[in-house]
Amino acid sequence: MDIIIRILYAVISILVATVWGLTLTGIVRKIYARVHGRFGPPVWQPFLDIIQTHSRRVAISHGYMFFLGPVFRFAGGLGTYLFIPVILGSTVFGNFSMGGDVLLVMYFIFFGQLGMALGAGEGGHPYSPMGIARGLSQMSAFEVPFSLAIISVAIQYHSLNITTIVQAQQGSILNWTLFTNPLAVIAAMISLLGMNGHAPFSIVMAPQEIPIGPPIEMNGSFLGILQTNRGLFAAAKLILFMNLFFGGAAHPNILVALLIMMIKTFFIYMFSVFVGASFPRFRPEQSFRFFLKWPTAIGILAILYIAYL
Amino acid sequence: MVSPIYILILSLAIGFLLSVIDKTNRKFSLTAFYGVLTFNVLVIADWFYRFLFLGVPTLTINTAGFRAPVSINLQLGVQESFVLLFTNLIGLFAAIFLYKKFKESNISSLTLYLILIMGVNGLVMTRDLFNMYVFLEILSISTYSLTSFGKTGKSLSAGFKYMLAGVTASTFFLLGVVFIYYFSGNLNIDFIQASQFTNYGSIALFLLSIAIFIELKPFPANGWALDVYEAVDSGIVSVIAVVNSAAILFLFYKIMPILPERFLNVFGIAGVITFLFSNMLALKQKKAKRLLGYSSIGQVGLLVASLVFTANAPQHLIYLIVGGFFINHLISKAGLFWLSGIVKHENISDWNVLRGNRSLLILFGIFLFALAGIPPFAGFWAKWELVKLLVHSKMLFALSAILLGSLFEIIFLFRWFTLTVKSDIAATIPRWDASKIFSTSFLGVIAIFFAAMIMKVYYGFSLIHILPVLAVLVIDIIDFLPSKVKGLLSLLAVLAYGYYIYPFESNIQLFFGIIFIVGSAVNIISTLNRTGKSEGFYGFLLMMIFSFGNLIIATNYLEFFLTWEFMTISSFLLILRGKQAQKASLMYMIFSTAGAYLMMVGFAFAPQLMGNSPLVISLANVQLPLISIILLSIGFMIKSGSLGVHIWLPEAHAEAEADVSSFISAILLKAGVFGLLLVGISYVKFAPSFDIFYWVGWIGVLTAIVGAFLASFQEDAKRLLAYSSMSQVGYIVAAIAMVSHLGWVSALYLAFNHMMFKSALFIAVAGIYYRTHTRNMYEMGGLIKKMPLSYITVLISIIAVSGVPPLSGFGAKWLIYTAFISNGWYLQAGVLFFASAVSFLYLYRIIHSIFLGQLKYEHQDIKEAPVWFIIPQYIFLGGIMAISAFPNLIIKPLNKIAMHYFGSSIRIDGYSIFSELGHWDGHVVMLVTMGAFIVPLLILLLLVGKTQKVKQFNIVYAAERPESPQTTHVAHNMYAHYRKALGGWGKPRIWNFWHSASEWTHSLADYFRHIYTGNGQTYVLHIILYVVVIYIVMGV
Repeated sequence: MDIIIRILYAVISILVATVWGLTLTGIVRKIYARVHGRFGPPVWQPFLDIIQTHSRRVAISHGYMFFLGPVFRFAGGLGTYLFIPVILGSTVFGNFSMGGDVLLVMYFIFFGQLGMALGAGEGGHPYSPMGIARGLSQMSAFEVPFSLAIISVAIQYHSLNITTIVQAQQGSILNWTLFTNPLAVIAAMISLLGMNGHAPFSIVMAPQEIPIGPPIEMNGSFLGILQTNRGLFAAAKLILFMNLFFGGAAHPNILVALLIMMIKTFFIYMFSVFVGASFPRFRPEQSFRFFLKWPTAIGILAILYIAYL
Repeated sequence: MVSPIYILILSLAIGFLLSVIDKTNRKFSLTAFYGVLTFNVLVIADWFYRFLFLGVPTLTINTAGFRAPVSINLQLGVQESFVLLFTNLIGLFAAIFLYKKFKESNISSLTLYLILIMGVNGLVMTRDLFNMYVFLEILSISTYSLTSFGKTGKSLSAGFKYMLAGVTASTFFLLGVVFIYYFSGNLNIDFIQASQFTNYGSIALFLLSIAIFIELKPFPANGWALDVYEAVDSGIVSVIAVVNSAAILFLFYKIMPILPERFLNVFGIAGVITFLFSNMLALKQKKAKRLLGYSSIGQVGLLVASLVFTANAPQHLIYLIVGGFFINHLISKAGLFWLSGIVKHENISDWNVLRGNRSLLILFGIFLFALAGIPPFAGFWAKWELVKLLVHSKMLFALSAILLGSLFEIIFLFRWFTLTVKSDIAATIPRWDASKIFSTSFLGVIAIFFAAMIMKVYYGFSLIHILPVLAVLVIDIIDFLPSKVKGLLSLLAVLAYGYYIYPFESNIQLFFGIIFIVGSAVNIISTLNRTGKSEGFYGFLLMMIFSFGNLIIATNYLEFFLTWEFMTISSFLLILRGKQAQKASLMYMIFSTAGAYLMMVGFAFAPQLMGNSPLVISLANVQLPLISIILLSIGFMIKSGSLGVHIWLPEAHAEAEADVSSFISAILLKAGVFGLLLVGISYVKFAPSFDIFYWVGWIGVLTAIVGAFLASFQEDAKRLLAYSSMSQVGYIVAAIAMVSHLGWVSALYLAFNHMMFKSALFIAVAGIYYRTHTRNMYEMGGLIKKMPLSYITVLISIIAVSGVPPLSGFGAKWLIYTAFISNGWYLQAGVLFFASAVSFLYLYRIIHSIFLGQLKYEHQDIKEAPVWFIIPQYIFLGGIMAISAFPNLIIKPLNKIAMHYFGSSIRIDGYSIFSELGHWDGHVVMLVTMGAFIVPLLILLLLVGKTQKVKQFNIVYAAERPESPQTTHVAHNMYAHYRKALGGWGKPRIWNFWHSASEWTHSLADYFRHIYTGNGQTYVLHIILYVVVIYIVMGV
């Protein structure tokens, strides 16, 4: 009985996050369009896209790994999300956070990336491995400031447990990691730029260079699943950042809590969007070098600041 | 019993009679000749037996009816008889070796030979200084004459140079004798005391001793000797190098008691210098006999040094050290000189003709290994005890010089060995000569006999410690069987061995027992794919596996070190079997030996162990001094391929045969881990004031990141995996260095996990190589449909490496980060995160380049890897899946093991594991992941009806159809952009460092070699200058 309720909760939680994630994506597309001087698609365009791709007559498959690639990707998104507690103290939105701490979430992010990379690899299109090689390299670079920030936070709260970290930030806005450990937040937010893959770090799917990148051969339902995941995964990442650095979402009223979550994640996302709309794209090596320089230095300072000062 | 004086009389008498006898028939003269030589051996052997076993007192023979010092007296005791037994034996066998030549040559050479042997006997026995001079002259004159035996221009000129040097030395000797008589009124060394030579008197002793020392060919006053070694016939030169040197060395030993200590110390140091420089100069030498000449001179230098340095040691140690070096030098040098006579090729790279005769090749190996001080031969034990002695008497400079010299020795000897075994045969194979082979084989038997005697009688090793060597012998006997049978037998032997040592193991030992023995057993299955006979393979494989096991049950330093050396040599020989493995195996041997020497010194500094329990247990109560910890750690880190000393690792892994690489990577590297853990066990209770493990930890994490980057930039699949191993072992080293509960749990967890996934990966690559015949990944691609089983192995394994949940790798990551952060190693943890992220690069590269992307035309009809490769892969996969789904299977026992040393820092509640920082529930993760995976899979499967399958090549880009798979597969130089981003950081600095170190050493050796001009006058000048320098240094 317990297990069925848990699954039911998980489904609700996932639906909320996916819808919110897709909506955010729609908003962002709109904003970008306006920056580019276009009207842009409607906010609900991502939903239409998913319906559209799923209703294609055929889906071309290059083999069983190709077939499983999107499955891995979506499973990665689902898993990442499911191990993050979304709303502090909520059973419905607590997800399966008893499965592990922030380390688990960090590594689960790789699950989808690796699986997708394998599936795309079997697609046989040269742009896929090119994009993947860029993506993995960039990931290894932005992971440095991000992990330094996580270590700094772990030292600060003496915990890797997301719920504990959120709890410690309650009470006042000044208790947020943003104010108690600003260096770590700066390092992590710069990493987020890389994670989200907006300019100047949009080298993975870079139009004009390797159009679409890894998912280039993906089509029909395969693409549909990837697009669904894009929404969910974006939400998961933002919620993780919200929890670690921006006080999480906590309110006795679940709807208010969800609203807090939405507002916070919206603004966190907007940081990427502002930067992305204002800067041109790096070349791959510039991007890697960037992350390994200043953000890494800031991350190291964040650790030294918290651990020794 | 026959009085030894008859040796002198008979040799002289028959020597002069020979020319008469020869008038009748050469057969008679040869019979008389060999008869005398045999007689000498028998008489001395009889006396030696009496002295050693019957306790007969030392024999003194007075001549001319008077007692000493009025008349000359001879002395024969256990030492004299020992030296004479072996010199006469070598003399006899050298004569047998020369049989053909003696049969044809002028009779005078037989006479000269007998007189030479007589001179040796007399020189060893006499106690009178002037008589010594006489015998020395007899010896020298006969030797000069014999050098021209070969009748080449070169040997004549060499003989002349020898004479010049000999006469110079004799002059000093005679002057010395005169002055000694002046000061002491006596010429008998039993009646002379050092106290009689005050002030100017010491000049007398100096002249005498320097003359003898010059005869021992000290560096650099030894050019004449080198020319002799190079030019003279192999049989004769073996006598000069071995028999003459032994006699003169004994002469030096005899006068040692009357020399003041400051003289002896200078001679000792001069001996060390000779050893160091001779071996260094030999590095540049390509001519076999000249190389052996350098080595002989070096060995004699070492003998002098050990004579001087052991002066105050207990008797049995002197016998072991000096006797060990002596026997070792005697056997291996004579043997190698004789082999040079059999091979008849000057250049060492032409010695590969030995491959035409298996027994000769084995003999060559025995002599070379003996000379290099590889166990179980005598030199190994002598070196071990000498190192201990030098450490205890704090002679660290001499110790370093000797070890450095030994390392040079290893380099040129093993270069020679690897060239012989591996290079392409270009020279013609000579006809094998029975008398020569007989003599040489005899020496091989003696070498083995001594090895066995020392192990059994002196040290009393039990059978299990000899087992690795026995395995080689047994397999050698059954080597005619097909390789599959031997493989199965080996598998059974390993299992039986594992069963046998099981009762000796407790907690941590059992854990390593599983890695070493069970891991090896599963790996053996992959070798069953071998066809033909695979001669020699299984012997060395078993030797290596048994050595792994013996490491964990070793109860003292020597057992451990002996086993360690067995492991090194067997793995070296296994690596050497690879087709292009000459350089790789040599590099492995050099680094391993350097590590072994550091360990040897480290153990010598360590306090004695009490009791008889395994090292793993007893070391917990032993305080290792800081120097021990440092040296041992470096030694073990070399074996585990830590940053800075890792350059052997990729070469060895890549060039070894496909099914050997998995042993090296998955199991051999863990021996280094085990060793480091041993040091750690002592560290727990007795951490030194300077926290050296903190820096070991840094080296570990830097190894992890550098290894990961290097792996990402490889094109060769095996090199990629090798660097990956380096990186992974870096994690383990760092985790051990934490010396904390969670640190060790994670280290052991990683070690176990690494053993499984790296075995699986290497075996998978072995199977792929078997089918594609290439290791370059860009030459493959798209093999997923052709080799699906191998693909699944690689897939599961790389997930386990990467740390992606839900597989076992995540457990490792969770443990290690938690451990680092709770230990306060924050920045190190950051570096590990980076390394872990970079590892995705190479993991994706290997799976994509081989299995994904475009299938090449030439691989259209390729088949799945053979079943012998698939079986072990899936056994390992089973292991990975088991500990992934049920982490408690491994975490619980590891938690208990670590709790022997620390309080537990984790709480296990059902499937949940709680640390002070966070938690992880492997079971929930597994279930959630499966759920998250199955739901989208079902959705896709529901829509599967409209899926249309197309071929790999069915792609379009930019309105263009790709040309061919070769140009469409993105694999070559995949991370070029990252290399660019790294800029100057991407340079191979460490490789460059070692490369220039090698270049410099060789250039230096070449530079020093220029002092040997080949001019006799220059050589005499060297001698005179040398005498002056020593005179000044001694402050006579």
